[in-house]
Amino acid sequence: MSNAPHILVIDDEPQILRAMRTILTEKQFRVTTASRGEEGLTLAATSEPDIIILDLGLPDMDGVEVCTRLREWTQIPIIILSVRDSERDKVAALDTGADDYLTKPFGIEELLARVRVALRHSANRQGAQGAQNKVVKAGPITIDLAWHIVKRGEEEVKLTGTEYKLLAYLAANHGRVLTHQSILTNVWGPADADHTEYLRVYMRQLRKKLEADPERPQHILTEPGIGYRFIVDE
Amino acid sequence: MNAADMQSSSFLSRLWKYVFALMLIASVTTVFFLLRDGLNTTLVALLYLIPLGIITALWGLGPGITSALITFLTLNYFFIQPYYTFTVHQPADIVILVVFLMVAVVIGQLVGQAQAGLAAATAREREATQLYELSTALTGLQDEQAIGRILANQVHALAESEYLELHITGTKPFVYRVPEMSPPHRPPELIIPIEAARGVLGEIRLWRAEQAISSREQRLFQTFASQSALALERAWLARAESRARVLEESDRLKTAILSSVSHELRTPLSTIKAAASSLRGKEVSWDSPARVELIAAIDDEADHLNMLVGNLLDMSRIESGALKPKREWNILPEIIGSVLARMKRLAVDHKLEVDVPESLPLVPVDYVQMEQVFTNLISNSLKYAPANTVVCIRARQEDESVHVQVSNQGPQVPPEDLERIFDKFYRTTAADRVTGTGLGLSICRGIIEAHGGRIWAENVFDGLAFNFTLPQLWDGTKPPQLPMDTEAE
Repeated sequence: MSNAPHILVIDDEPQILRAMRTILTEKQFRVTTASRGEEGLTLAATSEPDIIILDLGLPDMDGVEVCTRLREWTQIPIIILSVRDSERDKVAALDTGADDYLTKPFGIEELLARVRVALRHSANRQGAQGAQNKVVKAGPITIDLAWHIVKRGEEEVKLTGTEYKLLAYLAANHGRVLTHQSILTNVWGPADADHTEYLRVYMRQLRKKLEADPERPQHILTEPGIGYRFIVDE
Repeated sequence: MNAADMQSSSFLSRLWKYVFALMLIASVTTVFFLLRDGLNTTLVALLYLIPLGIITALWGLGPGITSALITFLTLNYFFIQPYYTFTVHQPADIVILVVFLMVAVVIGQLVGQAQAGLAAATAREREATQLYELSTALTGLQDEQAIGRILANQVHALAESEYLELHITGTKPFVYRVPEMSPPHRPPELIIPIEAARGVLGEIRLWRAEQAISSREQRLFQTFASQSALALERAWLARAESRARVLEESDRLKTAILSSVSHELRTPLSTIKAAASSLRGKEVSWDSPARVELIAAIDDEADHLNMLVGNLLDMSRIESGALKPKREWNILPEIIGSVLARMKRLAVDHKLEVDVPESLPLVPVDYVQMEQVFTNLISNSLKYAPANTVVCIRARQEDESVHVQVSNQGPQVPPEDLERIFDKFYRTTAADRVTGTGLGLSICRGIIEAHGGRIWAENVFDGLAFNFTLPQLWDGTKPPQLPMDTEAE
């Protein structure tokens, strides 16, 4: 059991902590819980968690601040929990270094999927830099990051330079939510970080070239008010 | 004109009255002197009373008494023998002189008193008229600023003040100045408090150096101030009453919200409670298909509950004006697509059609809020339109805006209700026949109006259509031109 991933849950609501402990233990995770920000920061340093699930609404400090303070010394994956309609906070937390988010109330499959993605990315970060991720497959789409080749089925898809850069960034981070700002900064550069309209237009083009039904995309998903997420498995 | 000039001019006008009086006496004396031989002393004395009366009537008591004394001397000097002396020989002449002086002075006083009485009456009438004008002007005014303005202007005009400041204290204090400039560098000559039953509401500060403010004027201004205090009080009471009405209205609304909400929240809760407790008990065996069914029910109803709470939150945000769209240039078809993908499961009984041209320009909208609008309009259509009918989403560019229509083949709405269906908790059908908070459409209206657009419903030939417009300009700017690259790798 000691090899099971260790999850630290920081949330001030006892019912949520109780449910999380029950469910995650059932799923063979080790679970530690904290109900305050300071306590969570201490436990993050002492109990060596593999992943942190952090509620944004804590009684003693702002969740975004917890996130910032964690990122000062560790790259442990952080998954944000928050209620609906706090897109601004979610984006702030993601831009300060949180890896993903979930909106309360959430289904447990969603939570487990996010945890798996976060653990995989953290493993990649620690291991040889993306060696096993040179080729990303998503349904019929194959993206060869080493050779810059994109295929749909057996057919090669012609992408413009920017389209390719955008797709490559999405694919390299598949499964994770990527904020508008982080995509714009990484693909276009920091000067264009506010031009979400670039994203809207280029994502639409990518969907037309890659998705079976561009209006109901299966792989390039919009996260309303937050950003985009590239999903590998349908 | 400065104060010294003013004083000297009033002194001059007083002086002139005496000069005129003396001139009249002189000319009358000259006439009598020329006719002296045909007149006896008694007649002259009698005739002298005429100019004396005129002088007092025209120029007041001072010139009258002065003229009487002078006439007494001229009568003695020119008309009582021996002429050209002030000595009197005949006892009868002494009597004439004495009686003349007495009569002259008494006439002067009587006429003077009558004059003063008349002047006072005229002044009182003028005050009454001014007061009447003020109260007429104040009648029906409910705006404190307007009341203050009228009071200040009236007092300013009446007092001929060089400068006047009106201070109104209280919850909405303000200062009104006539003329519109900074006050003189000295304390005001007069401060009149504006007092009402509630206490002091403010004061009038009056600057007038030319002429001292008489107690009569002070009294008048005080009356003006009390009259305005009454008007201010009336305005305050009217406002308090309308506030009370609003409170009452919002109280009524709260009751409606509570009853609707508790009904709506209890429905999914009942399902969840029933399903969870039967799973917990021994009624449902582990491998029964009912188990899967019950778990699905719990999951679905929890989602439904979450949506209801979300609607309530949205509504309270719209009500409090906290709903600020986070605008970005967005592609409408993308928003519609993601809504339809999410609603696929709910729309199994209906056919959804999308008719949105590819050339539609970018629109400056909040992505999440627009999703909400489409979700509410489509789910409303799904709820009321019979199964196997078409729900159609159209969008067109019109001038400087984008026109969107969500139409269904459901029942039409009576024309008089087309506007009201966007009101909170308004339903055309009985509440127990359809589920929902009765907030969906009013949330749509709140969001569209926050975007600067317009939303309305209309009956179309085979059903009902919701329409809304979205401005295409964002603070006057058109959709941006994108730096597109065309070369393929």
